[in-house]
Amino acid sequence: MDFQEALKQDFGEAVSFDPQILHSYAHDMGEMPKALTLMIKGRPQAVVVARSAKDVSTLLRAARSLNLPLTPRGQASSGYGGSLPYRGGIILDLSSFNRILKIDTDKGQVDVEPGVVWEDLAHRLIPHNLENRICPTSAPSSTVGGWFAVGGTGIGSLQYGDLLENVLEIDVAVPDGTIRTCSGPDMLPFYQTNGTLGIVTRLRLACRKAQSLRTIACAFLNAACAVHFLDTAAELAPYSATLQSAGYCAMLAKAERRDPAIQEGFLLSLTLPETGFNPAAAAILAEAADGTMLDAALGEAEWERRYYPMRIKKAGPSLLVGECVIPFDSFAQFLIETQKALPSDHFGVEAYAVKGRKLAVLVYIFDNAADFLYPLRMAKALIPLYTAIKHGGRPYATGMWFAAAAKYVYGEEKLGLVREIKKKTDPQNLLNPGKLEGPSLPFLPFLNLSRCILAAGKILAPVAARLSYTKHLRPQTEGEKL
Amino acid sequence: MNAHMLEHGGAALPGIAADALDTCARCGFCKTGCPTYPFGGGFETYSPRAKVFFLKEYYEGRATLSPEWVDRLYRCTTCERCQTVCQTEIPLIHLWEKIRSEIVEQGLGPMPAHKKIRDFAAQFGNPYGESADKQAQWLLPEHKPVDEADILIFGGCTASYKMPSMLQSGVTVLTRLDIPYAYAGGAETCCASPLLRTGQIAAAENCISCNLDLFAQKKARYIVTPCGGCSKTLKYDYPAFARKLGKTFDATVMHFSEVYAQLIREGRLKPSIFTPKKVTFHDPCHLGRSQGLFAEPREILAAIPGVKLVEMPRNREESRCCGAGGGVKANYPQMAAAIAADRLREAEETGAEMLVTMCPFCQGSFAQAIQESGSGMQLSGLDALLLASLPEQA
Repeated sequence: MDFQEALKQDFGEAVSFDPQILHSYAHDMGEMPKALTLMIKGRPQAVVVARSAKDVSTLLRAARSLNLPLTPRGQASSGYGGSLPYRGGIILDLSSFNRILKIDTDKGQVDVEPGVVWEDLAHRLIPHNLENRICPTSAPSSTVGGWFAVGGTGIGSLQYGDLLENVLEIDVAVPDGTIRTCSGPDMLPFYQTNGTLGIVTRLRLACRKAQSLRTIACAFLNAACAVHFLDTAAELAPYSATLQSAGYCAMLAKAERRDPAIQEGFLLSLTLPETGFNPAAAAILAEAADGTMLDAALGEAEWERRYYPMRIKKAGPSLLVGECVIPFDSFAQFLIETQKALPSDHFGVEAYAVKGRKLAVLVYIFDNAADFLYPLRMAKALIPLYTAIKHGGRPYATGMWFAAAAKYVYGEEKLGLVREIKKKTDPQNLLNPGKLEGPSLPFLPFLNLSRCILAAGKILAPVAARLSYTKHLRPQTEGEKL
Repeated sequence: MNAHMLEHGGAALPGIAADALDTCARCGFCKTGCPTYPFGGGFETYSPRAKVFFLKEYYEGRATLSPEWVDRLYRCTTCERCQTVCQTEIPLIHLWEKIRSEIVEQGLGPMPAHKKIRDFAAQFGNPYGESADKQAQWLLPEHKPVDEADILIFGGCTASYKMPSMLQSGVTVLTRLDIPYAYAGGAETCCASPLLRTGQIAAAENCISCNLDLFAQKKARYIVTPCGGCSKTLKYDYPAFARKLGKTFDATVMHFSEVYAQLIREGRLKPSIFTPKKVTFHDPCHLGRSQGLFAEPREILAAIPGVKLVEMPRNREESRCCGAGGGVKANYPQMAAAIAADRLREAEETGAEMLVTMCPFCQGSFAQAIQESGSGMQLSGLDALLLASLPEQA
């Protein structure tokens, strides 16, 4: 029996080998240059749509007996390549494995399957007077399991931290198909590691009690002032905070064909519980940080569009995105050095405040993936990552393309633990291969593609930084302080 | 490539392909919002995101319109949810309709049921194959249309032949208020919505041309219709076709709900009969997302004493489709029925005793869903509920 017959026997209509269907799974949110995607076997040989934990277990066992790589995929709403195969095999589509299993109103907990979409969950919690504690800005499409696999911070992280801090328990199907229940530190190896050690089949999330939120908007002359305000505003018990540079506001204004919210410095949106909401107190703190309170409607509008950070791509057509996490205290210097390293470009910065005085930062540069110099210019996306590492920060996630940066993302200790578990439980390296160490090149297996990307990026970034596609907006000048 | 494409209602396809398709963020917001995607076995390929990816490859010469892709591209109700959630505001409905028109031009489509619609429309002037003699049979004895008036009633095929209650209620309201109206029963041709949505542009143009002549002859200032599809098409497609055909079209198109809301605001329509009903409201896609008519139905419901509105979680712009639009009910009836059943369940979960809508197409879908599921949910057109709250002499 060949692998197709075997999978058909197990999954019937839920498996497909149709080349048209397989092709749809050969990409995620990232716009990678052809030269790069040709180096991996990104098209799977089969796709299985799972709808239960039993499906996941069965497929893990089948993949092992068929010796086929297995790549789990949620909504593929990140661009790191974590849900892309690199040596073919089977894609496990988890987006239909999406029931809400139990809502415990008294305990403020919800049990969900991994394919549940964050925004759908928010809707379902409303009648129970509960809300998600945190969610990604891609909440209308991204899944709970997918965000756990990538690891993340987002809206609400200022109060509640990263996702792991808000997950109470998981069921995870490990490579031999058995399902384990983990909580506390036992969950750590499975978090952020792109499903390389196991596929989460249930998550228990802590929720917050529903409460109305209000968002205020303030303008600050520079990053240092904005960060100072964030420190002092802790006394207001904020739920969430977002910073947008004037460069980002200009990009957004271009996409939305309107005037930018600010001309220089930073726009800070601070979201607070309505109970005890005191804009006067916030205004005093803003003034003390050389900031200005803006129109109340602007804050509310920023909250309304919180799920639409990519709206700027409308003015692209493409975007180079550098994503990193950086301590509050390094943010201003990080920006100065990023600006210095990108002298030819107009770029935008958006950052989400995270508990523990950190910022999850996105640096956006307009580009065009169809342009022949795009692959070279992509090196610019690495500038913020290297700058963040230099200043005590780290890349936001690994996926496939940045797998070689795992030691920065996970930390050395966790990486060691993860490698040890992988070796023990998946000696054939079938479960999402290429996402812990990085994929090896097909014809030069001693070379690691992710390491090549990171090294080439470092070497080429200074050259790439001289090449600008930005026809839309002029580069920022020294006078336009971030 | 594709420079021959008919231009209507927006830029020609190459421009859109070049500008809009490139800006797709691949975020998948369209996928989770799509009512038909779950019926593709859960495979990504049936999602709007995958369709956009395919179209980019197709227009760049790396993919062909296989029969499977033609089928997938017709599995769309044109409900516009994908377009309203799109991060980069890609005009997706325009793209879906453009590619369907290209499929038809290349002889690769439409789907069998859509060909039948085209043939009936050509032969009978309506997609149901009904005789034009029956078009005015919905008129009640108290209805008194005049030859010429500011208002011309455009019944629409579904309301005229299949689901007349909304049309009857609306015209009864006008009659009671002594508002004169004209009606061209027997001379009305299909508005062409089902033809346009399924890419059958040439056939649509014939219908539109006939109606444009009729409107000119009737000299109407306002065209009023009870149908979501008709009002959308008359508002947004007819002006472009009139320009193309060199005909005049300067009437204001209104859905009946707009008329009621205006009459309520003016104090001319005063619902006063207590109607103790807990209702939920389904926003028809082609009225809500297409025309922005979200406030009007709620304004009308709020004016009816005793009516308590409980919203479904997905309402207004987020409303779920009934499954009927875009030629889906005609060619994929099981999928359409399943989508309607899903929406009916949402309505039931609100605890409402009555589901109210304001499009005959939606009403037809829910009537079928209620019948098939044995649901105890009552179903009413907004018009009928309004009419029941009006005294005999308004």
